[in-house]
Amino acid sequence: MPERVNYWGIPHNWGAPELYVYTIMFLAAFVMLFRFYRQASLWWKIGQPEARWDKLHLRLGRLIQYAIVQTKVLRQRYPGIMHVAIAWSYFVFFLGTALATIHDHFFEFLFGNTLIVYKFILDAFTIVFLVGAGMAIYRRYVQKPRRLTLEAGFTGSLTLITLIVLGGLFTESLRLAVEQPAWAWSSPAGWALAQLWIVTGASEATLTGWHLGVWVFHLLIVAITLITLPVSTLMHALTGPLNAFFSKLDTSFGALSPAKETPTGEPIYVSQLSDLSWKQLLDGDACTECGRCQEACPAFAAGTPLSPKKLILSIRDALHSNGSQLVGEAILPEALWACTTCGACIHECPVLIEHLDTIVDMRRHLVIEGDVDAELQDALTNLGRYGNSFGQSERMRARWSKGIEPKIKDAGKEPVEYLWFVGDYAAYSPTLTEITKKTAVVFQKVGLDFGILYKGENHSGNDVRRAGEEGLFEMLVEKNLKALERSEYQTIVTTDPHSYNALKNEYPANGNGKKPVLHYTELLDQLIASGELRFTKNLGYKVTYHDPCYLGRYNGIYDAPRRVIEATGCEIVEMPRCRDQAFCCGAGGGRIWMAEGEMSERPSEARIREAVELNAVTDFIVACPKDVTMYADAVKTTGNEAYIVVKDLIELVFEAM
Amino acid sequence: MTNIVVLAKLVPDLVEELEIAESGTALDMEWLRLIINEFDNHATEQAIILKERSGGEVTVIAPEAEGANEMLYTIAAKGADRLIMLKGDFEDGINNHALARAFAGAAKELKPDLVLTGVQANDDLDGSVGPLVAEYLGMSYVGYISGVSVSGETVVARKEYPGGLIAEMEVTLPAVLGIQAGEEPPRYVAISKVRQMMKTATIDEQEVGDLDASGGAMVQRMYVPEAAERAEMLEGDEEEVAARLVEIFKEAGLV
Ligand code: SF4
Ligand code: SF4
Repeated sequence: MPERVNYWGIPHNWGAPELYVYTIMFLAAFVMLFRFYRQASLWWKIGQPEARWDKLHLRLGRLIQYAIVQTKVLRQRYPGIMHVAIAWSYFVFFLGTALATIHDHFFEFLFGNTLIVYKFILDAFTIVFLVGAGMAIYRRYVQKPRRLTLEAGFTGSLTLITLIVLGGLFTESLRLAVEQPAWAWSSPAGWALAQLWIVTGASEATLTGWHLGVWVFHLLIVAITLITLPVSTLMHALTGPLNAFFSKLDTSFGALSPAKETPTGEPIYVSQLSDLSWKQLLDGDACTECGRCQEACPAFAAGTPLSPKKLILSIRDALHSNGSQLVGEAILPEALWACTTCGACIHECPVLIEHLDTIVDMRRHLVIEGDVDAELQDALTNLGRYGNSFGQSERMRARWSKGIEPKIKDAGKEPVEYLWFVGDYAAYSPTLTEITKKTAVVFQKVGLDFGILYKGENHSGNDVRRAGEEGLFEMLVEKNLKALERSEYQTIVTTDPHSYNALKNEYPANGNGKKPVLHYTELLDQLIASGELRFTKNLGYKVTYHDPCYLGRYNGIYDAPRRVIEATGCEIVEMPRCRDQAFCCGAGGGRIWMAEGEMSERPSEARIREAVELNAVTDFIVACPKDVTMYADAVKTTGNEAYIVVKDLIELVFEAM
Repeated sequence: MTNIVVLAKLVPDLVEELEIAESGTALDMEWLRLIINEFDNHATEQAIILKERSGGEVTVIAPEAEGANEMLYTIAAKGADRLIMLKGDFEDGINNHALARAFAGAAKELKPDLVLTGVQANDDLDGSVGPLVAEYLGMSYVGYISGVSVSGETVVARKEYPGGLIAEMEVTLPAVLGIQAGEEPPRYVAISKVRQMMKTATIDEQEVGDLDASGGAMVQRMYVPEAAERAEMLEGDEEEVAARLVEIFKEAGLV
């Protein structure tokens, strides 16, 4: 019967080998924990307090999903497979070692078939690991993607973890070469390697001697890896899971928190290290430097000084090298202003780092200091004064609706079923009023009972908040809530995904309770499903659809707009970056109000080029008023007027009715 | 240590359409939205810059109006030390002579070294405030200033002339300066700072008593410019148009 041989081939004449093994391992683990503690204690010594201990079961779930199963890592095929091959193998090896210890000291169960399965699994994962390590070597030294940090530290870590696994494999194979048990096949990799030793014809004593040497080496490498872990790139194996565990739970992706406060209630605007919370410092230490955020970042792609990866790493550098000032030193204001708040970085980050919250915290500091560019200042001043960024009277807000018969109800005066929150761009931008009118006509044609707030509506504040002007955001929320409380309605429907996000995720329940909020594409989708909206024409266009950040990534609405487009008889051809990987138009987070700054390629232009590459697509369909503006410009500046037309989804609906 | 006084007023915001009141001699206040006079905003900025650069104290005086509180708190959030609101019968708008007398009365008490105010405003019907205040305070006045630096008993002011000329002139204090533009454009003040000021800053309200509008112009009639009739578009090629023009000139007895 197959039996587990403990410390095979290890001489016992210096005393029991386990004594050495456990002593060395305990010491190494102690040193590791001590060094880790020294690093980690900086988080709460320097960082501000922040409550992240609630709902432990959910947090445990996060840990399992993101640190063990690693669903985010797996979003990208090559690096995903590479990383889980390595990580999962180590989980298995870790578990295997733990089981062996249990077997040795507490409860013997590793014999017979159990042992065969045990051996087989461990051996199989050795191969899995080697595949992963091979992929990592290829990626790091041949592919060399720009987003990776190609530094010696990573080479060192890869070498250490590979040596550990090779050490295990070699000891196993040398033992099998000497013992040659009948069940040797259950360790296929070890057994294959053993053939090599057998062929050399070396004596049992020689092989046993080699075994001892490799075994000692293996042990030492494990010890070294543990001891150096807290200062090496493997640190992420501890900080990554911690970061997943402590990630933001209560608020949805689309909700920011107000500035943190000192114990005396003073808001903290982040400009230096000690203004950050301990979790934001942990973010810095958790970064794996994988560069996924940077690769997805439209601001980085446009050649602005912003890289979300670099931003997070500046926090780490500041934390460990005593450079305490962040904004203006390691992090330039231009970098902070370049962020479109598209959320791609957060969405891609395998360890759930919250870049955007930190960026907005730092923007708040800049706003308080009055450090805003002239255009943004004008927009904010206008928003404060008139409730819209266009600097027009609120009495002009509904001017677009002139001529629409019957006159659109005033939701502030009579009850309606749907309160249509039109939004600034749709209401004031002269180039968009035609589209807004079409929306109203579509609503009227399907017999929707709807109304608007007329001059009672203010900018929702979504992007005001993201520009860092929290006080103004609060003021706009108050004004809107006042208007909403005065009105009687069942559901809010918005044109703009940005207002949608704020109303849905950031507005507190108002006097009427929290009413559902729908984007107009969702509403249309419902109306089609219920048969209230019917089409008489089959448009038959070949189109592509751009997912607005605040509808897609922020709120997970991907299918409703697609269903509506298809219902009009159009065929959708997807762009390579679609759905949750959609590439931002560049307008969000207040960018649309700011001076553009230097760019190598506007995100909107990159996006139009992406669409034009698609075969025979004639229409670029959007579902956000800002997108119409951004992309119509980009079509012109890239000289693609002959190939593609930007249309709002409502235009298709209008045409097909 | 300079004692700086800024005089600021609210003027009609041109974002709204202006309507004439029934009296036919003034704007209809009901439809009016008020905004800080842009030049006063620059004067404020200049005062704060001076304070930041060479110390001193900044006091802002404004007549009571809808939105004056907010304006004063905003200026306080930028760094002004003292806020004064003049209370009186400003309701239906008064002329600048009356306003300047009220300003001068309040400013005199403060013994200012330097008085800054906007060089003009869109509702100046009887001259701008600055020179009038200077007259009532017995100080010298220079207008169209876009940059001031203080050195002891004098200031050096940059005065802009039409055609891009700039003069630097030394002005002995105390003096009144009419500001065309601050050295820097007015800064942005975060709303939370303004709200904070609303809680902490106090506005010193001062009754001005009877207003003396003498010396100022009286409005006889206020009206929206009447569209001119009879515009004739000349069509045809150059020759024809030129011929027609000569004809018209002749008809009008010009040639
Ligand atoms: S939110 Fe978008 S623009 Fe901002 S850093 Fe992240 S990826 Fe870049
Ligand atoms: S922040 Fe996240 S996505 Fe970006 S490099 Fe670090 S680990 Fe990767």
